Amino acid sequence: MSIEGDNAAVDPENAQPANAQSATETPADDVLDLKETESLTSGSSSAQQADPGQPDEVEATHAESGPDEPQLTAAAPLPSVEADGIMDEQTEQNEAGREPVEREAALVGSSPSVADEPEIVPKRTGFFQERLPERVDVAPQVLRRRTRREVLLFGAGALAALAAGGSLLPQATLNRLGVIHEKKPWPGKEWLLNRARRVDDDVAEALFSQNRLVPTYTKSQITPLKNNYNGATPDPSYIPEWHLQLRGLASGLSVSLSIRNLLTRFQMHDQITRFVCVEGWSAIAWWSGLRFDDVLRAYPPVSQARWIRVESSVNLDPWGNPDPYFVSLDIPTARQPQTLLATHFNGQPLTVDHGAPVRLLVPVKLGLKNVKAVTRITYLKEQPKDYWAERGYSCYDGI
Amino acid sequence: MQVVRKHHVLVRWSHWLNVPILLGLILSGLSIYWASPVYQHKPDPQTGNFDYFADIGVWICARVPGLHHYSDPPDWIYNHMSLGPGMLGAALRLHWLCAYLFMLNGLVYVTGLVIGGGWRSLLPRRTDLRDAVKMFWYYAGLPFAWLARRSWPHPHFSRKYNPLQRIAYFSVPIAGFLSVATGWAIHKPMQLYWLAALFGGYNKARIWHFWLLWLFVLFVIPHVVLVLADGWDTLRSMIVGWSAKSSNSEDVHHVD
Repeated sequence: MSIEGDNAAVDPENAQPANAQSATETPADDVLDLKETESLTSGSSSAQQADPGQPDEVEATHAESGPDEPQLTAAAPLPSVEADGIMDEQTEQNEAGREPVEREAALVGSSPSVADEPEIVPKRTGFFQERLPERVDVAPQVLRRRTRREVLLFGAGALAALAAGGSLLPQATLNRLGVIHEKKPWPGKEWLLNRARRVDDDVAEALFSQNRLVPTYTKSQITPLKNNYNGATPDPSYIPEWHLQLRGLASGLSVSLSIRNLLTRFQMHDQITRFVCVEGWSAIAWWSGLRFDDVLRAYPPVSQARWIRVESSVNLDPWGNPDPYFVSLDIPTARQPQTLLATHFNGQPLTVDHGAPVRLLVPVKLGLKNVKAVTRITYLKEQPKDYWAERGYSCYDGI
Repeated sequence: MQVVRKHHVLVRWSHWLNVPILLGLILSGLSIYWASPVYQHKPDPQTGNFDYFADIGVWICARVPGLHHYSDPPDWIYNHMSLGPGMLGAALRLHWLCAYLFMLNGLVYVTGLVIGGGWRSLLPRRTDLRDAVKMFWYYAGLPFAWLARRSWPHPHFSRKYNPLQRIAYFSVPIAGFLSVATGWAIHKPMQLYWLAALFGGYNKARIWHFWLLWLFVLFVIPHVVLVLADGWDTLRSMIVGWSAKSSNSEDVHHVD
């Protein structure tokens, strides 16, 4: 190996002054350190640390240096898997060079008394004590070669990350940046991003428990709730003829309920809960209404029904045109005791702004599932479409 | 020659993977912020604007030369520091992808710290406060010393990191953990309400999450500047894992 020649020329020179320094200078160092402790304990043990070749005579004088030595000698130029250019002759070279150091160290080491040692022992074995950096003997060519290889790999990885990460940005962003000019994403992109959202929905579903109640608040904690109708607020003229349709029932019938039916046939429940919007804002509000679970008991859904489609036919788009609103809701969420068909807000019948006469109130979901002015509820075996899922949002929205 | 093993391979990988992941989180995060800014003022009577970030955009476009004809000054910040305004759905989806990758990457990082034993070098030490002051004066005086062409020696420390580095490298993983925790608190404020309560409730957890982002930005700027100033060996040690400064006693590494 041609490397060996290089190392033999370089190494003893580098290693030698360093070791001499450690034996003479370190006691003056004021930083509490493993190295310092080492040389305080005794100079000869620092020589031992640097040189695993001659442990015998040191152990004879220092009983405490037994079990912890492997950690310390990690700093010594031991052969390593990673370093391709290590030489076997290395240790011999160093041994020859270090002899004067050891003699010097032995002189220094004779001064600390045996009584001092127990104090220092915990420091050198301290679990939190910073260890000496692991040193590796390596030929300059090896370092160069390895650097070149890793930097090239790093560059390739950086380019790949730039391409992959960049292409994951939304199409609108890429359009704005001028990176692309067409709207069509590559198929893998949608798959990956939807997969991540699916994972997140599964986590949300796993966190949900039908019997776990969300926190409730006192009346003094109530905060204002704005009308966040995505489009125009509908004209209240729909209210007098309003009926709630139930479909997908076990009876096979379609039931139509008036607000009077709902208010008289079901028990009313009050709750002050937080309403959280996907946009990030939230409001603590006082709601009253009937439990969805009670409706499910009174009008059982078809067997094997797992989903509910909750619709509002009075919803409008921003220009005032009809824009029916529909969400998917899983039946376990509907059975959660705080999921209401709310009829009252702050003790008063719901206003048009808040979805008169009945809105879905489901505190364990984002606000966008809380359909205002519900006109139809359908029980289904398969998951129905969802207004916001079609617009790029999650279809589960559990919070 | 001798080299020092500085960073475990898992630490190096997770370190670099943080760059695209954090970038994705910040860009999508500010797009999410746009939908409902944490910091709002009363709506402006003329424009109806209530978002301070929009105000900053208007301010920048009014004063920075060349931006006078920018089409949408209130959107300037969101057009330059996020995915863009009005794309909440796309931003949320990317945010979840990056958030799960960030958590996995955090596990890789911690594994690398444990296997490589590097975590010990991050722990605060008794002497840190005093030595941090030394380092602060060193950095404060460096530009003047450079202008006056006087030598301005780097304070000597016998550890892997100087105290300022250690404070930074110790707190940034904690900030990462807190970002994840506050993220979960505002993502699942009902099922994980106790976590939101830990940060003072849903609204306060949003504020925590927002400022933790700026903590990362605040860390990254001097981090990059100082690495570049420190030179190739330091940068290489995060790519290759080896530092060749082991035989140079002027470095923060002790020779012995």
